[in-house]
Amino acid sequence: MKIIHVTLAGLGLAALMALPATAQKQAPAPRVADGQPNLEGIWTNATITPLERPPELAGKAFFTEAEAVAYEKQMAERNDVDRRPASVQTDVALGYNAAWWDRGTRVVKTRRTSLVIDPPDGHIPALTPDGERRAAARAADIRLHAADGPENRSLGERCILWPTAGPPMMPGPYNSNYQILQIPGYVVIFIEMIHEARMIPLDGRPHLPSSVRQWMGDPRGHWDGNTLVVDTTNFTDKTRFHGASENLHLVERFTRTDADTILYEFKVEDPATFTKPWTAQMTLSKTGGPLYEYACHEGNYSLVGILSGARAEEKDRQK
Amino acid sequence: MKRYSIVLGIAAACLGAPLVQGQARVKAVAYVVPRTADGQPDLQGIWNNATITPLERPADLSGKAFFTPAEAAAYEKEWLQQNNRDRRAGEGASDVAGAYNQAWFDRGTKVVPTLRTSLIIDPADGKIPYSAEGLKRLAAAAEYSRMHPADGPEDLALTDRCLSWGTAGPPMLPGPYNDNYQIFQAPGYVAIVVEMIHDVRIIPLDGRPHLPANVRQWMGDPRGHWEGNTLVVETTNFTGKSHFRGATQNMRLVERFTRTDANTLTYDFTVKDPATFTKPWSASVPMTKAAGPIYEYACHEGNYALPDVLAGARAQEKKAAGGARK
Amino acid sequence: MATLALSLPAAGQATAARGPRTADGKPNLNGIWQVLTTANWDLEGHAAAAGPMIPLGAIGAMPPGQGVVEGETIPYKPEALATKKTNFTNRLKLDPEVKCYLPGVPRATYMPFPFQIVQTPQYILMSYEYANAARTIYMKDPGPAPIDSWMGQSVGHWEGDTLVVDVTGLNDQTWFDRAGDFHSDALHVVERYTLRGPDTLMYEATIDDKNVFTKPWKISMPIYRRLEKNVQLMEFKCVEFVEELMYGQYRKKP
Repeated sequence: MKIIHVTLAGLGLAALMALPATAQKQAPAPRVADGQPNLEGIWTNATITPLERPPELAGKAFFTEAEAVAYEKQMAERNDVDRRPASVQTDVALGYNAAWWDRGTRVVKTRRTSLVIDPPDGHIPALTPDGERRAAARAADIRLHAADGPENRSLGERCILWPTAGPPMMPGPYNSNYQILQIPGYVVIFIEMIHEARMIPLDGRPHLPSSVRQWMGDPRGHWDGNTLVVDTTNFTDKTRFHGASENLHLVERFTRTDADTILYEFKVEDPATFTKPWTAQMTLSKTGGPLYEYACHEGNYSLVGILSGARAEEKDRQK
Repeated sequence: MKRYSIVLGIAAACLGAPLVQGQARVKAVAYVVPRTADGQPDLQGIWNNATITPLERPADLSGKAFFTPAEAAAYEKEWLQQNNRDRRAGEGASDVAGAYNQAWFDRGTKVVPTLRTSLIIDPADGKIPYSAEGLKRLAAAAEYSRMHPADGPEDLALTDRCLSWGTAGPPMLPGPYNDNYQIFQAPGYVAIVVEMIHDVRIIPLDGRPHLPANVRQWMGDPRGHWEGNTLVVETTNFTGKSHFRGATQNMRLVERFTRTDANTLTYDFTVKDPATFTKPWSASVPMTKAAGPIYEYACHEGNYALPDVLAGARAQEKKAAGGARK
Repeated sequence: MATLALSLPAAGQATAARGPRTADGKPNLNGIWQVLTTANWDLEGHAAAAGPMIPLGAIGAMPPGQGVVEGETIPYKPEALATKKTNFTNRLKLDPEVKCYLPGVPRATYMPFPFQIVQTPQYILMSYEYANAARTIYMKDPGPAPIDSWMGQSVGHWEGDTLVVDVTGLNDQTWFDRAGDFHSDALHVVERYTLRGPDTLMYEATIDDKNVFTKPWKISMPIYRRLEKNVQLMEFKCVEFVEELMYGQYRKKP
């Protein structure tokens, strides 16, 4: 059994990690044609590892191999239990078992107990007062105006943007799939949901004018040794990743640690919202593909159903 | 050797500065057309086609194909007097309508140099050879106009709507004023800028096919080629909305431009439309060098008349309805 | 290439980087050209945005653009900037493009329609497909413009291989784009057209208007040759299309 020693840059983590050997028919070329380290392939970041460390695992940064297996089994059972009670409403809402989702079945390959790695307690840092205020206002708005109009629903329900796209690219309920392509001067990340292509130029050009804001911001990339560093700014105030403002500054790092693994890390900086920057990390695993077409908006019956259902409920209540 | 007809000076339309042009009978001097850099006969310059000769021979000149010079002079004098007299009737609407004298127009002051009594040269009677069906359609259109003079913009003349002027056509016929054109030539193209309404006919000479048959345009789709010193332009793909003298969208037009001397362009055209005319008919309208420049005719941008005509019609109807109720 | 077949320089002249030439030795700008920018929506950089007409949905939405203004923002005087903002709010009523009015200069260049250059030694005709707008560039200065007009008076000369066009006599009726960018009748525009290879024109326009801006400013963009076989300008006679909008209120009710 081969032990692959990998040194991770950027976090001061000196630990050597043993990643399981994979049976490889043919090792991918370490570099693509123009000399960039090779990140190409179809990848998934599906994982059962939560963003923040569960309370019962406080203080425990890593699973052992045995603990990881047990955790995976426990999660699998929990997510497949029949939770349908007697009532009709909740019968529909809770009628989803693992057949409907594809959150993955494994913890991240690093066996961390949370995606957040900094702060070391595995939790997103406290919000600033303004961040708190905005979060409270948002929560109240959701409670009071659950379905007044399309803008009250989530970006996923509106088929505008999925968390798998972000950025940062977070695993979602299903189809957390990506295809990375590289050509001279660009890294392109094609995201299955909702058929987004992040074109990351590597030529050092400036960001878009600050007056131009985009849902997925504006990315600029460069290679730091074998790590692709992507700097993204120019967000709008509509994406609100975990409450972030439009001044979110996101730095992502992609490092291929073996034929089937990319270590993906992102750092969130938004002094208006978070009292300090925070970093999360996950592994992207090679997957079979192909990527499918996710024609979300074209098949978006549910948004119409939700809104008209809300209108019908209001009418009922008036009677 | 060719003999050339009299070249007459015609007042330049827009600047009011008269062209200095002597009357001369040119004897047996062959005019050699200059060439553009790419070898086309050079038609370039600013041209004007104003003339008092009507398209069709007037009824009282029936049978008379040409004036004598004396008759022409008399006709010109009479025409000027008629169009410059005070026709104001002293009462409201017709006072306004009749208050236009020659100060408002620039139709020219001369008949064509050939002294023909009509611009039409074929048929010999100088009249448009309408078919029965053509006449029927014309009559129906006239009747509709009478019944619906101003229900909406579509009922008004293309000139009132600032869509298209007779000077542009095609064919290009003189109108009430500013009968000015500027011709440009570059390799493979002849471009005719028509002052009203800043229309540009760009005529490719490379033999390419016409636009697809289902694509129709107000000025049609022109294709040109040279036959000796004559530019021949064939135009098809008209819409049914331009209806030149009642023609349908299937009208086919052939125009011929020949520079007969430094200051004269002969412009002949033939109109074909079996649905409207019993046979093709042709006309000849000379164009004369003019001083220019071509001005901008921002017709639509200054079109106060159209909304006023419509609003006025609505006001009249309201008044009539109010009167009826009493 | 067709354009190169036009004229070969006289023997003995260096030909290496000169590009296609007319018979009188000037860069050959003849042909049909069109820009690919969203400058007509907004000269400054802009993210995509919903359009002003809900029934048009995505068809009426504004596409994004990186902007064509050097220095990113147009240097408005403060009171003029307020006017621009009001213009934007009321753009459906105020933008002359809505009514199919003549676009003026430089807007005619970057309308989303092709235009054709017909180049002769004494005049260069620019014929725009949009509203059959047209202007003639006088290569010999005829003197001051006799009157203000929508398309102004254009006087051209060559500086090396660059066609420089000086435009005066513009009225105050046109806008620069759909975003409400405007000017007074003191507007003075200087354009520069330089061939960059046979199928690309690099275009620059310097805008000067002391009544509206604190200083002159510049836009720039490439203009691309339309290369389709048998490409030609077609008619976009939009006056007809705006009659209902402009005169519908006067229509007789049935």
